[in-house]
Amino acid sequence: MDYIPTTEKDVQEMLKLIGVSSVKDLVAEFNPAFTGKLNLPKPKSEIELIQHMKGIAATNKVLRYFVGAGAYNHYIPSAVSHLLARGDLFTGYTPYQAEMSQGTLQAIYEFQSFICLLTGMDVANASLYEGASALAEAALLSCSYTGRDRIFVKERLHPHYLEVLQTYCEGAELRLTDKMDNNTACVIAQNPDFYGNVENLRYLAEQAHSVGALFTTCVVEPTSLSILEPPGNYGADIVAGEGQSFGIPLSFGGPYLGFIAVRDFLFKKLPGRICGMTTDSRGNRGFVLTFQAREQHIRRERATSNITTNQALMALAATIYLALMGRDGLTKVAKLSYAKAHLLNGKLEKLNFKNLNDKPFYNEFVVKAPMSAEGVFSRLLKKGIVGGFNLGEDNLLICCTEMNSAQDIDDFISAVAGG
Amino acid sequence: MKIIFEYEEQKNTGYIQEEQEEKEDEEGKNDVSIELPSDIVRKELPIPNLNEIDVVRHYTNLSRMNFGVDIGFYPLGSCTMKYNPKVNEDAARTEGFSNLHPLSPEECVQGSLKLMWELKEYLKDITGMDDFSLQPSAGAQGELLGVMMTKAYFKHKGEKRNKAIIPDSAHGTNPATASMCRLETITVPSDARGNMDISRYKEALSAEVALVMLTNPNTLGLFDENTLEISELAHKNGTLMYCDGANMNALLGIARPGDQGFDIIHLNLHKTFSTPHGGGGPGAGVVGAKSFLADYLPVPRVVQRDRTYSLDYGSEKSVGRVRSFHGNFGMHVRAYSYIHSWGTGIRKVSEHAILNANYLQSLLKETFDLAYNRRCAHEFVLSSKRYGEKSAMQIAKRLMDYGFHPPTIYFPLIVPEALMIEPTETESKETLDGFVLALKKIATEIKEDPEMVKRSPLSTPVGRLDEVAAARRPNLRWQPFQRQNKVTMNENSP
Repeated sequence: MDYIPTTEKDVQEMLKLIGVSSVKDLVAEFNPAFTGKLNLPKPKSEIELIQHMKGIAATNKVLRYFVGAGAYNHYIPSAVSHLLARGDLFTGYTPYQAEMSQGTLQAIYEFQSFICLLTGMDVANASLYEGASALAEAALLSCSYTGRDRIFVKERLHPHYLEVLQTYCEGAELRLTDKMDNNTACVIAQNPDFYGNVENLRYLAEQAHSVGALFTTCVVEPTSLSILEPPGNYGADIVAGEGQSFGIPLSFGGPYLGFIAVRDFLFKKLPGRICGMTTDSRGNRGFVLTFQAREQHIRRERATSNITTNQALMALAATIYLALMGRDGLTKVAKLSYAKAHLLNGKLEKLNFKNLNDKPFYNEFVVKAPMSAEGVFSRLLKKGIVGGFNLGEDNLLICCTEMNSAQDIDDFISAVAGG
Repeated sequence: MKIIFEYEEQKNTGYIQEEQEEKEDEEGKNDVSIELPSDIVRKELPIPNLNEIDVVRHYTNLSRMNFGVDIGFYPLGSCTMKYNPKVNEDAARTEGFSNLHPLSPEECVQGSLKLMWELKEYLKDITGMDDFSLQPSAGAQGELLGVMMTKAYFKHKGEKRNKAIIPDSAHGTNPATASMCRLETITVPSDARGNMDISRYKEALSAEVALVMLTNPNTLGLFDENTLEISELAHKNGTLMYCDGANMNALLGIARPGDQGFDIIHLNLHKTFSTPHGGGGPGAGVVGAKSFLADYLPVPRVVQRDRTYSLDYGSEKSVGRVRSFHGNFGMHVRAYSYIHSWGTGIRKVSEHAILNANYLQSLLKETFDLAYNRRCAHEFVLSSKRYGEKSAMQIAKRLMDYGFHPPTIYFPLIVPEALMIEPTETESKETLDGFVLALKKIATEIKEDPEMVKRSPLSTPVGRLDEVAAARRPNLRWQPFQRQNKVTMNENSP
């Protein structure tokens, strides 16, 4: 394939105008010049290319998923991908020039609004990379705001999120702590937690506030927010997490959608882009990126974060998804996910699987199997089912969404029972 | 345009039907009742119910108020707004890639792992580095990873180094990243040829310097003529060399940062390797390292044994994860597909990027002031200072009326009234000539009818926006029952 429109005649004219005889002369000062041969495949026609790509994809196996653990298989209405494919949106960049980017900007404003409605927070930004690094940004923000350097993490945070926090803390010279005291910058708790448990975390928010720390709720399965109390109602100062469940394909782990939302008093510390409503020279409503003085391209070493590119297209996907699903659709997704998980859990209990959740759960739950987790998974895999996340030994983390049909659940049960 | 929350309530489209559940369950538990404690159950969900048609129209109309590479020339310097081939979208949307759960058993994801492994091999070869991680989500996170690796490396060696040398032409992310990792930035000025001032660099290079961060070619669109000397001096001093690879579109097959003495590099797949910019992401900021630093790259890493691919978590020195799962895999697919389309011919990309930039520079250097009078790489920086203060802004806004996206303006900070122009290789001579004509015309207009230029853009869905008001009276979200500022609907907008 050749995506260069310039003809040989054009090239000669251009070189003449520049005043060189060949393209090679233009790059003479790049040293050392690379004179070897790149070990790349042969150029491909579009037919060859798409066959090659589909051939690779065909060696993956898309199965029936009862695994979540940070990536959730929810239904995506067809209209989402059709709208996302519009080149005016997906081939633009960061809306530095607002007059030409009202589509992206208004979509960001709507995204920020949706996130605030769902989390009960005052201000959300335009998105971050994905949930784990969004949570790390929440920790950095807390340290910057409080001038403290310790981060308390409630148990049962998604292990990837904990690992990313550790990485960021090492880089930024901050510390994870298991004590809550007046060195604590923030208290972090995931809800529903990694095992699917849900609880009202007001008690933890109060403990955090009593030592002058900020309280951050981490949300990894955001469909839960359709039926659960918004974290803002139980004392969260920051809500950070993952928005993949809102219309974004599993795509082997990315691109996903980080989000962060805060109370008013923290918003000047937010990382990344923020869109605001304003008016134009003709008196019409319009949207711009605002409070850019926080950002790296203006403030450089004194910026709130180094974030530049975020996940605008994924934020757009989530915005469209939320608009399409509406209140009724979102509620159904949450109720069905909840119901199917509880149904499966009930059926497993009859097969001597023991539920280990110590609190009410949403759509993920932990069971202790009467055999090894490996054994359960290999039986299920034979039926084309990915049975969950292996928590070690005989413990499994199982997830249901509205995508798991009654048939899938029956097959799950018969595979496990029929050993 | 309305905001999505301003439509009247409609009948919900009903993508999900509870009937799906009904045939279920021998115990007759058909209803989906939620049995959760009342203190954790939401009381209301203030999200509107709408029907598909109006949602589709709403976002289609929004898209018509937006500008992308698919609409016209987008010479936004430093961002490499090249054409994004459609076939790569089809590849990424193939069921086997798009619906794959990241925690599937390895035997079910061999295709994805193979693709990631091969992409890493291609990038090693293209850059001259010894290993790559595909995990970082964007260039800035790649930088962050690079600086974390540097810190981990010196910690392991037992050396205390807490400074980073960064030229004044650098992207703002470089100093922002250094300071996120508690490194103090030493800013070195540029010399008269746009290189980092070598004598000031030598003065700055002390035993405390961990890292030199260079953009290569630099943000002025120039290859730093002292790159090899800078690397050599850094290495003699025990200092690492970091390459901000945002401008790799100038180097494909022409020169390799690994051969120029760089120890760590990040690449932006959404720039050089044509993955769409998405209105501001997703990107992918893959990071390469020389072998002595490879152990510090994040885990997990894709490894290959006997034609089987797996994820390897073992590396004690690794800085750890920088995100969940394996990176922006969908972007890996597109970049991989792009590399396969060019294959061994990929050098042509950079040759034409450089040709197009030099052609534009030659045609425009009389009308504007060239910041540095040298041949450029894939982009160049003009100054419009002869047209007065704020002229770069006026020119940018007026360009919209000619159907062009403006260049990057007021960056790099060291050039007054900067216009940073990056045409990329995918633009035809006809498009470039049209752009030159528009800029020359604006240069005349700005003298002959300055008031009109100040009022521009005149043809966009909205006029110039009041950024001061946006910051003074922040309205950052729609609120139920909020009294919006009195809004006049724009008759020109769809």
